[in-house]
Amino acid sequence: MKIKLELFGASRDFSNKDHLELNVKDQSSIDDLRNEIIKYIDKNFQGNENFIKVVKSSAFCSENNEIISDNYKITKDQKIGIIPPIGGG
Amino acid sequence: MLHTKIVDSKKEKILTSNAEKFIKDSKFGASIYFLGTVRNINDNKTVTGITYDSHDEMVIKSFEEIYNEADQKLDIKDKAVFIEHAKGYLKLGEISIIIAVACKHRDQAYVLSRYIIEEIKKRSPIWKKEHYENEESEWLKGNPIANEKV
Repeated sequence: MKIKLELFGASRDFSNKDHLELNVKDQSSIDDLRNEIIKYIDKNFQGNENFIKVVKSSAFCSENNEIISDNYKITKDQKIGIIPPIGGG
Repeated sequence: MLHTKIVDSKKEKILTSNAEKFIKDSKFGASIYFLGTVRNINDNKTVTGITYDSHDEMVIKSFEEIYNEADQKLDIKDKAVFIEHAKGYLKLGEISIIIAVACKHRDQAYVLSRYIIEEIKKRSPIWKKEHYENEESEWLKGNPIANEKV
């Protein structure tokens, strides 16, 4: 499955673009997606610990702008947003 | 009555006059304007500005949810609420958020204004990157998003 991972907040430092393109297996969970992002960071940023912390503490959102749980199964190509810890105001 | 908007700092500024126009009504006896502005010191570091990022659709949705919840949780039916949050780079002193509320009575207005800002802090996907005098910058750590649906 092709995932277009939209980047927000601290995760914007993962790329010069506003998204990453990742591949995951059919029926992958959000935890599997997290591991795929960490692999990308290992490869492109020598396992930058701060970046990995961001990934581990982030939530994810669907194309419908709903937060999705770690049990969510990815069964089609889709856009997913990474939501690092927030702090507006 | 609700107005919400993400204001792109490259194109426009948050104006209290817009909020005043929206909430002004003779049926309301109490109005409160809460402004968040960019502060010059944070964690003993000299701040020169902040870049705000947001997931616009989710932020607007969270503002609407917070407004609707005020009906049930606070039992404040008759109200006007104006919420705008900035996106992009802001200099010191510039307005990052405005929450203007108008209600019949002052106790309702104070409760509602405080409720909205505290819920936004917990639930609205907005991020801050602080810029410092030594030209360094840093995304603030923030808190994991609270969402009842998780």
